[in-house]
Amino acid sequence: MELESILEKHFGYHSFKTGQKEVISSILAGNHTLAMLPTGTGKSLCYQLPGLILKGKILIISPLLSLMQDQVEQFKRFGEKRVIALNSFLSTEERNHVLSSLSSYKYIFLSPEMLRIPFIMRRLQDLDISLFVVDEAHCISQWGYDFRPDYSKLGDIRQKLGNPLTLALTATATSKVREDIIASLRIEEINKIESTIDRPNIAMYVENVPDYHDKQDRVIELVTNLQKPGIIYFTSKKAAEQMASLLVDKGICRAMPYHGGLDQNSRILIQQQFIFGQLDVICATSAFGMGVNKENIRFIIHYHMPMQMESYLQEIGRAGRDGLPCIAVLLHSPGDEQLPIHLAEGELPSEQQIDWLFKRISNEQRLMDVRVQLPNSFKELGGFSDIQWRMVEDFVNSPHRHTSQLEELQADFKKLIKERLIVKKKNIFQMKKWVESTLCRRELILQYFDETLSGKIPFCCDQCGLKLNDYQTGQQTLTLKENEQLWKDYLAKILTNRELSK
Amino acid sequence: MAQLASIILYCLTQLNGERTIYSIFHLLNGKKSSQTIQDAHLFSLKNFFGVYEPLSRESFEEIIQWMQESEWICNGGEQRFLLTPAGKSFLGNHPLPEFLNGWDYHPFTTQFWERLSLFIQVTSNLVFQESRYIPIQKNKHVHQWLKSVLKEIKVPRKEMGAIVYSELVECFNDANEIDPSLLVFRLTGFQQIGLTASQTAKRLQLEYHDYHIGFLNTLHYLIRKISDNATRLTVLAMLIHDLKQENELTLSSRKTQKLLNQGFSPEMIATYRQLKLSTIEDHFVEFALNVDDFSIDTYVDSELQTKILEISNHSATKKLKLIREKVPAATYFQIRLVLAKYGDR
Repeated sequence: MELESILEKHFGYHSFKTGQKEVISSILAGNHTLAMLPTGTGKSLCYQLPGLILKGKILIISPLLSLMQDQVEQFKRFGEKRVIALNSFLSTEERNHVLSSLSSYKYIFLSPEMLRIPFIMRRLQDLDISLFVVDEAHCISQWGYDFRPDYSKLGDIRQKLGNPLTLALTATATSKVREDIIASLRIEEINKIESTIDRPNIAMYVENVPDYHDKQDRVIELVTNLQKPGIIYFTSKKAAEQMASLLVDKGICRAMPYHGGLDQNSRILIQQQFIFGQLDVICATSAFGMGVNKENIRFIIHYHMPMQMESYLQEIGRAGRDGLPCIAVLLHSPGDEQLPIHLAEGELPSEQQIDWLFKRISNEQRLMDVRVQLPNSFKELGGFSDIQWRMVEDFVNSPHRHTSQLEELQADFKKLIKERLIVKKKNIFQMKKWVESTLCRRELILQYFDETLSGKIPFCCDQCGLKLNDYQTGQQTLTLKENEQLWKDYLAKILTNRELSK
Repeated sequence: MAQLASIILYCLTQLNGERTIYSIFHLLNGKKSSQTIQDAHLFSLKNFFGVYEPLSRESFEEIIQWMQESEWICNGGEQRFLLTPAGKSFLGNHPLPEFLNGWDYHPFTTQFWERLSLFIQVTSNLVFQESRYIPIQKNKHVHQWLKSVLKEIKVPRKEMGAIVYSELVECFNDANEIDPSLLVFRLTGFQQIGLTASQTAKRLQLEYHDYHIGFLNTLHYLIRKISDNATRLTVLAMLIHDLKQENELTLSSRKTQKLLNQGFSPEMIATYRQLKLSTIEDHFVEFALNVDDFSIDTYVDSELQTKILEISNHSATKKLKLIREKVPAATYFQIRLVLAKYGDR
């Protein structure tokens, strides 16, 4: 059967998006494949469709637990029930149940830490694996902005599984990172499919706001005038909350904050309200966006500068998936880089915390040959945040450790932390450089990912003479009629289908 | 915060300065400790047990502070508070939420809401023949429950929506003291996503704490209504038919109960379990409260029981110390047993 007819039959789409067909054909021809596809092009289709043709299992390694759940749900919504996620969300009982019936699944999602468990590895070795997928493959490289030490072991894992056919997927990776991915997976010949990261329908606009305190007013002006729906990204939860209530109280639009501090139920509802057009604007932290498939987002505003170009690209990439014009505005004030630097430092354990930890370990004489088992109480006692503690654990469990001497370990760890901080700061300054540049924004971003702009596009960026007026909304309507609705009408609306009863 | 304030004022009235303000915090939180469980019974505050589980200590303290500044309560020392005349009149003008039944319903209130909201979403999407949507509840147990219930319901799928609608309207129609909007606007249906708690509060112009209490009041009303009319509300009855009241004993008490049933004395149980005797005594007080066929006659002779009750009623106190002064023959343990068994009636 032709690929298009499979696409139509199983997924209901008439045509492939950029790069999808090339990736799928490459895999079906038996080639290891590295695919860099822009955000929003449906990367999961690149392994879901081959799964319908290939005989064995599809193993997908993914570092993002929340995204994994979304993907599993997405699969199920399209009628694929043979899908399971093996991650730390499962209870021991559930995990054992899944493991004992592993062969009945076709698509198996795994978080990297599951691969550390020998028992799970043995179960995987028993399977007939047709495709080994590494999602978010840039996490392999320590040059990547989101380096996961667990990911660096995937080369070993691949080998233990008998070097299966491999697909490495990423949305944003510089050429250096791409080389790292290939080397780390120990693949000699690989088919690279790199579609451009450029999204021509997203115009870019950097606006200088000389005084940081004027940003709120500026956002209100922008949101009033721009076509909606849109997302405003913040680095702090508090700023996001403030902005959302300001927009609502001033009657500008229907807005809600979204961040990791909200309970899961509210997060789901707010996300869905946005998707179904019940909200115009989300004031979000970077926690918002993954797994949100909304086609018609017309603007992205950055209230704070992101931590790196890759995040910026991902975040603006949520706009205009329908292919229609849309705009990304970044508001910049002098000294804006301080907040991300502060955050970057906060994500890493401090020198004092490391010293405290190792002193504590040596006091407890928990020195063991291969592995130091860290009691969880140390996390709290040492005041480690979740992210910091993950780094500690990753380091302790790292296979690349060559010593069991505590002093050497401590020095190694400090060295690692220092290196991470250097990488992070470099990324922030790269971002700052881009913001402050007077050259074409698009060209610079492409350059960063080792691409060149093929031709001038009409609505490009502020440096190319873009005017915000072009993205203004025609209508100024805002009546919140639904406030007058009665509960009985609401209930009738969702529970009775007039067309059906006719 | 009028609604929450009136609950706190009512609790303070019942406690009558015999417990600290934090006993109310634990009560609203539904803390499963012997002390809190006993207090709920002893001071007839069972309806408010666990009606505000997410309330934080900080918020609670802010509310108390605010009530103090409003001069509804005054500090009687040692974290004990009493109502001022202004507080009494406020309580008189602000009736308590009528349907709260924390003691009986709190173990499954959340579960009931998760079931109801998922059930409505699924029904709505059935009615509109939509099979692709994101379930707004993630709890796997609720999903499993729904699957099995859908098999049991013998109603044509297309008529489900209309039946659920009429059953819900029947429940809410004759409730004058309740605003069903508090619950209904939070429901999600086909291409219509429900509001979050804070959005609903805002829309109905309710203060957040009061919204929470009002929402729970509505849920408890609905549970009561469905269980009272289970034969008529055949579809909604599926939501609760397997929700039973759990055995309210704490885990540790249950172990003690097992040993007691094997004939061991409190002292022997303490030795065997390597617990303090006072802990075992706490467990016995729990039995007196919760286990109907638990007789305290073995531990307090009936004459002494009568005497303790008389003193307690006469001097209108549940303070153990005061009672003990007047009945020196009784131990504290005995007084607690008697109050637990009969003090509530």
